[in-house]
Amino acid sequence: MAREDLLGRPMTPDEGELLDIYQHLKRMAARDDLAPCVQSNARIALAALWQIVTDLDLSYEQVYDLGV
Amino acid sequence: MPPGADREYWNPKNELMPRADLERLQFVKLRRQVEWAYARSPLYRRKFDAAKFHPDQLKSLADLDRIPFLRREEWMASQEAHPLFGDILAVPADRALRYHHTSGTSGRTPLRVLDGIKDWHWGAECWAYGFWGFGVRPADIVFLAFSYGSFIGFWGAHGAAEKIGALVIPSGAMTSEARVKQIVEIGATTVCATPTYAMRLAAVASEMGIDLAKGSRVDKLILSGEPAGSIPATKRLIEEAWGAKAGDTAGMSEVGTIIMFECRHQPGGAHIIEDHVLEEVVAPGSDRRVAYGERGERVVTSFGRGILPLIRYRTADMVEKVQAGECRCGRTFDIYRGGIMGRWDDMKLVRGTNVYPRAVEVIVREHPEIDEFQILITREAPLQDEITVSVELKPGREAAWPALQRELAGDLAQAHEGLRFHVALAPPGSLPRFELKARRLIDRRGEA
Repeated sequence: MAREDLLGRPMTPDEGELLDIYQHLKRMAARDDLAPCVQSNARIALAALWQIVTDLDLSYEQVYDLGV
Repeated sequence: MPPGADREYWNPKNELMPRADLERLQFVKLRRQVEWAYARSPLYRRKFDAAKFHPDQLKSLADLDRIPFLRREEWMASQEAHPLFGDILAVPADRALRYHHTSGTSGRTPLRVLDGIKDWHWGAECWAYGFWGFGVRPADIVFLAFSYGSFIGFWGAHGAAEKIGALVIPSGAMTSEARVKQIVEIGATTVCATPTYAMRLAAVASEMGIDLAKGSRVDKLILSGEPAGSIPATKRLIEEAWGAKAGDTAGMSEVGTIIMFECRHQPGGAHIIEDHVLEEVVAPGSDRRVAYGERGERVVTSFGRGILPLIRYRTADMVEKVQAGECRCGRTFDIYRGGIMGRWDDMKLVRGTNVYPRAVEVIVREHPEIDEFQILITREAPLQDEITVSVELKPGREAAWPALQRELAGDLAQAHEGLRFHVALAPPGSLPRFELKARRLIDRRGEA
């Protein structure tokens, strides 16, 4: 079944891939066993991915609980 | 040319989105932001409960009116009761990445704002919509004539230029002369400044014997911080002095970024970034939403910053919203015609006549001999208020004075129901210059 954006429109393959990367980064940012250099930069990367998935209407949520 | 550098829109998916879809998107975000605020911000939960509003009542944008307005006074009071940031916070302050502040309502305590990591990126993102829309590209050299302090100012603009991949020149604590020198030497193509400071830099350049229109590579000026960026006469002066196009933007510390930008087609107004904010225009002193083309007070809901949710915030900004079709750029984002046209709360009543500083500026700037000006309102006797506009002339234009005095006084009176304006000549260099928000009106009537 095709994945849909916030408006119920089918995602493009690129959009689906970006959303997957965002979800992966969320899982990384939630971990507390990573080196500071990994955790801090993963959070910054997650902020950038948050912006992409928000701009493309793929997701809209708050991520402060992940430190972002 | 880097991939994407020749494209017209920063986010074509949303900037070209049909209005019906755009409104559906705004509703999805509104509902989530309201749920978030209700769950996490004590101030919003208290307000919503008091208004007998629950997020579940939001079924469509038509239910927007159920949400109570947020006023600056409430926010300030929340800060006073729960220092430093108030119980508006939806997340503990230690999660924040940035602190900024702006002048408080009382003038004693600032309004303090915080941003988390993604909020800070989001602020730059909104600026990127504006930069890209006005034509800034990776090959540009962006000079920020800005002091990089606690006032949020052009911080987001800096981030936007970096996102785009332009070369960023931060000018920090430099003097105006040093800024002019660097703009020319480094070949800056884009300058960010307030309208007042853009004019000041042009005047300083002239004193240095530099004609920026011929001696610099600047072809874009991105203005913010004052209404003057959309006053045609002021804008024309700035564009002529720099030999560059000037684009208006407007935002506020309470949002953390700009909420509107003028695209390169310069439609006489600024597009609202409607996938990231929901903007309403209501009648001043009322809850009634006004129609397109009717002047009213701007009310903003932000979909960005979540640490300090901003939902139906009454700004006191005077705006007039028109439909996106008034611009030929293709964006579906509605437009604030004339940008921010003034403040509903800076109107002065002088002998029964409404006086807006912006309206005075429009007239003053029609006289190219004038370099700087100041408006002074005094009370000479009970019910005898006087208004004086002091002007400084540009060097070499002194001969224009006697005629200018008569002409300006006549123009001002004509535009203000016959109100008598005194027009005085100020010595060169005696009036204050402003780098950020100009405060050219002094009202001494309340002073002992």
